[in-house]
Amino acid sequence: MPADDLVFSAPATVAEAVAQLGGDDGEAIAMGGGTSVAMLLKNDLIEPGRIVWLGKIPGLRQLMAASDGTLRIGATVTLRELAAAEPVREHAPALAYAAGQVGNPRVRAVATLGGALVHGDPRQDIPPVLLALEARVRVAGPSGEREIPVAGFHTGFLETALAAGELVTDIIIPAAPGRRSVYARFTPGSEDDYPTVGVAASVVRAGDGRVTRATLALGGVGPAPLLVSRAGELAGRVPGAGDIEAVAAAAEQAADPVDDRLGSARYKKAMAREWTRRALRACLAGERGRPDSGPAGS
Amino acid sequence: MKISFTLNGAPAQADAPPDALLVDLIRGLGHTGTKEACGVGVCGVCTVLVNDLPVSSCLYLAACAEGAEVWTAEGLAREDPALIRAFAECEGMQCGICTPGQVVAAAALARGRERPEATEDEIREHQSGNLCRCTGYQTIAESVRAYLASR
Repeated sequence: MPADDLVFSAPATVAEAVAQLGGDDGEAIAMGGGTSVAMLLKNDLIEPGRIVWLGKIPGLRQLMAASDGTLRIGATVTLRELAAAEPVREHAPALAYAAGQVGNPRVRAVATLGGALVHGDPRQDIPPVLLALEARVRVAGPSGEREIPVAGFHTGFLETALAAGELVTDIIIPAAPGRRSVYARFTPGSEDDYPTVGVAASVVRAGDGRVTRATLALGGVGPAPLLVSRAGELAGRVPGAGDIEAVAAAAEQAADPVDDRLGSARYKKAMAREWTRRALRACLAGERGRPDSGPAGS
Repeated sequence: MKISFTLNGAPAQADAPPDALLVDLIRGLGHTGTKEACGVGVCGVCTVLVNDLPVSSCLYLAACAEGAEVWTAEGLAREDPALIRAFAECEGMQCGICTPGQVVAAAALARGRERPEATEDEIREHQSGNLCRCTGYQTIAESVRAYLASR
């Protein structure tokens, strides 16, 4: 149970929030919308002495697009807002689509981008998309501000690279002219549920069809979301079916899932391969956000 | 801690622990139309409106409702009798467990839009996450459509 002297605060600025998080005593938790924090409290997985709610900090609620297409998204922008935001739909359609698929409308009305990143549950939809888009995390803490690549942010199950007393302020999605991004989620049960596997793909192609940059990330098949580095080798090529197969095989290889109600480890590995195939093929075909192609070979 | 907000159009105040959930606060104030069923934000029975947005009150800290405008199923039904009438006339309920959530979700859909008509997909997407244990979704969707048309 939470400490009897639990304190809830709603700071108005990042500086106040950092002060209220109070450094490295490990007693404080920063909260975005609170959907995950409420679950953690209910299950006695956390026992904070202080809950610092970031929902009243105006600066963290902003979503800005630079003229080159770089997105700077405040940590407490909700998934509902993210799914509807025009700049996100234009420059990072996989992120807009994924945000609109998390849970149900009530969760999306409250849950925040920062929370979806910091919670660190590997089954979540948002982290693999941020990985594929090579996002960077802006962080504020007792020793000032710093930036962490999303690729180094998740260090294990529910574990992140945030130091005690730090909070996420913004997520930066770098611009990449001509980038296509898709997110494919496989939900054999209910669409409301966590995916058995989620695959995010991002591809930039030159005018002659050659790939200049490709990234692919998996969710649900390891203690943290993971990048499939083999996708990077598509650079310089006009990828064909063999290239897609090679990345799909690498995804199956990289996947390190556990048996649970969403599927056996063996099944999840096979599905990582299949849904990588679908996501990558859709992305290379120029689809955006939600891949609408069917199974391989169809 | 003291929490002050507007509940069904009237000022409300409660003293609650900092980790109290909104569902418990509301029920403690006698508004028992809001119920905790699944407790994990999946089923929809605890849905309330917070500043016009549908929220799972079983996963929402009461402290975050400070200064907010909160509406529950019974408050919305009193405010707009057409809401309940549509569900009654279209038989949008069987056992009744999911009805409070379906009704609040329908009210949220109506508040968030300019025009009365909605497509079937819009309605189903919007009501998603309100689990009808009787699987009576057809008449629930008809009820929502009838309610929107009545406005």
